[in-house]
Amino acid sequence: MPEWADPVAHYMIHEGLPTTLRIAAYAVIGSTLIGVLLGTLLTIRFWPLQALIRLYVEVWRGLPILVTIFIVYFALPTAPLIHHRFGAITGAAIGLILWGSAQVAEATRGAVQSIPREQHEAAAALGFGWIGRHRSVILPQALRRLLPPLVSLLANIIQNTTIASLIGVTELLATGQRSIERLQLTPPGDSHAFAIYAALLVAFFCISFPLTRLAIFLERRLV
Amino acid sequence: MTLAASFDWQFIWDHIPDFWTGLKATLKVAAIGIGGSLAIGIVLGAARAHKIPVLSWVAAIYVEVIRNTPILVQIFFIAGGLTQIPGHPIRLDPFTIAWLAVMIWGGAYNTENFRAGFEAVPWRYREAGLALGFSRLATFINVTLPIGARIALPSSINTYVSVLKNTSLLTAIGFAELTDTAYSLDSQSFKPSEVYFALGATYLLVVWTLSALLRLVERRLAIPETR
Amino acid sequence: MKRITIVAAAFLIAAAAFAAWGTAAPGGKVAALAGPAAAPKKPAKPKLPALPSDVKKRKKWLIGVKCDFSPFGFIDVRGNNDGYDVQVARRFASLAFGNKKKVDFTCVTTPSRIPTLMSGRVDIIVSTLTWTAARAEQIDFSIPYYSAVGRLLVPNNSSLGIASLGGKTIVTTRGAIYATWTANCFKNSTLLQVDSPALAVAAVKDGRADTFMFDDAFLLGVATQDATLRLTGDKFLNVPWGIGIRKGDVAMSRWVNAALRYMKKKDEFVKILRANAPARLVPGFLDNVPRPKNTFAYPVGKDVASICP
Repeated sequence: MPEWADPVAHYMIHEGLPTTLRIAAYAVIGSTLIGVLLGTLLTIRFWPLQALIRLYVEVWRGLPILVTIFIVYFALPTAPLIHHRFGAITGAAIGLILWGSAQVAEATRGAVQSIPREQHEAAAALGFGWIGRHRSVILPQALRRLLPPLVSLLANIIQNTTIASLIGVTELLATGQRSIERLQLTPPGDSHAFAIYAALLVAFFCISFPLTRLAIFLERRLV
Repeated sequence: MTLAASFDWQFIWDHIPDFWTGLKATLKVAAIGIGGSLAIGIVLGAARAHKIPVLSWVAAIYVEVIRNTPILVQIFFIAGGLTQIPGHPIRLDPFTIAWLAVMIWGGAYNTENFRAGFEAVPWRYREAGLALGFSRLATFINVTLPIGARIALPSSINTYVSVLKNTSLLTAIGFAELTDTAYSLDSQSFKPSEVYFALGATYLLVVWTLSALLRLVERRLAIPETR
Repeated sequence: MKRITIVAAAFLIAAAAFAAWGTAAPGGKVAALAGPAAAPKKPAKPKLPALPSDVKKRKKWLIGVKCDFSPFGFIDVRGNNDGYDVQVARRFASLAFGNKKKVDFTCVTTPSRIPTLMSGRVDIIVSTLTWTAARAEQIDFSIPYYSAVGRLLVPNNSSLGIASLGGKTIVTTRGAIYATWTANCFKNSTLLQVDSPALAVAAVKDGRADTFMFDDAFLLGVATQDATLRLTGDKFLNVPWGIGIRKGDVAMSRWVNAALRYMKKKDEFVKILRANAPARLVPGFLDNVPRPKNTFAYPVGKDVASICP
């Protein structure tokens, strides 16, 4: 590797990559837990509940993720009732969770509703109540159908963590940019921006491509 | 209620002209991006569906690269990386970077949408077209395209709405679209609640309206069997 | 069903592993000391007020700094924070704990520095923070630790000056005092706001903007490096920078101001300046740093950004 590249690669891999993966992990786990819950609740025919969750889903899917993160990180802490402020990484994670949970909720609703009526009827005939039926019969099957979109979501969220760089988080993209800035101001002043951005594209591709392939594979095998 | 009392509605009202300017820029870039994605989607989707040599492979690589990398990195690559190509730096103005980036992104997703749509056209229709003496190209234009494009409509609508939402990321290169306007306004005025409430409300209005309009188009154009 | 459970479990384990790996990585730059702490030369310890209890309990500082603003806050070749601001912060660590490594840095940008300070994630921000009345309503400022002067960066062949900015495009960083000043005083110029100084320089080089209005120290560094750019002779908006402290945090203000006064008395800012500016540029900046014989004052009561040339 050329001489300038070693410190850049070291900085990006040791400072940027862990932060990216950390935010992604928080976001995926949070989105899955909240999304599955909301999605399951969406199948209950109780219109006030449906309306509320539907609003949540349409708002967080309708807003660009950047705008959501701005609202969470800049506006939310100043709102009355919420006088707690949080760091940029938390802010980015919450923003991604709002978006991700809305996606998962939609997918879960679709998955649960795709379980044939006969399953519900058979479970009811066997004496299962609503919760028991969902816990033991419906959700296990629905979650199986949810796996491909969840894997896709992981790939998407990892890519969307780059948005956190815009509120000052030092994740992978930001470490690349800091390196470009440093190289620009060090003699001979060649920032190698082309190579560094290309490397970023390659890095994200190597993380995301296997996941999307896995999602396609799971889709073929499970559904 | 204190929330309503301390919320500075006057501030939002005073800055509506700024928001409007930003919104116009957003819509301009989104329109070009959506139009471009449509064109790219049809052409490359057809190439992929018909397995045209060379073009199909190029399209496949294009699609996989764009769909598996963050759009923000793509934007910075076009804005900053291209200016550093040794020997042939490519310098673009923010507006060009803006529509180019969202168009390239949307085009990749749309290629997949249209490929799936074209491939879903039942073979018997295409067979019938060929049997009637249409050339392969004519069959495509008269049979595959009308039917396949309609099949692809729902997924491509998703892509178009996403293109609109992705324009928000162009604030990263200083392009003065809607999000950039709000961001700069907050940095000067320190009124994040008002600014971002207005920003969010504007986006929801625009995105929901666009979705509704496109869904209307979809319903008009949907193939009778699927309606 | 079993195979599916295995796949799902593997997926969750992988996610948890990533999370663990991420949290295990150091957040800031606290290098583990390989050997015993270097025995300090132990100059006479300055009599500073009590260290704020949070910092004392934690036994280290959490300080927000710029990472994209050379020579005040940037990332060096080894991936560590460095710069004038960073070294002031490190001096705080050595004054408080006798060890300049007892500080963790968080990167902030102009729009994110005040929210980051208010979030409690950092104790103070030493981040090229110019005093403005609007900012002083949000946070408390320490006494000045640097005084910047605004300059214009232009391409070599440009004949632009402060008098001829009408109709031109001025680029600066978002939320900077220069943005407010341009909006107030150059209404028929176009203002372009970007998130980092480097992007602004790129805008000038690529022709997207006619001039970059910014602080002298950064611009001089750029002009020295880049033979195609130069500074015009115009100087304006000479406003001091302060350290950002949460409003009402009296203990912190007291300590920080005492530390700054001590450093000023011992002429330490010149040392830090010399460490961060090329030797031939240092003489030009000696008036920008606090020294025993000079005083800086914030333009309280004056809205500098609305005083037009």
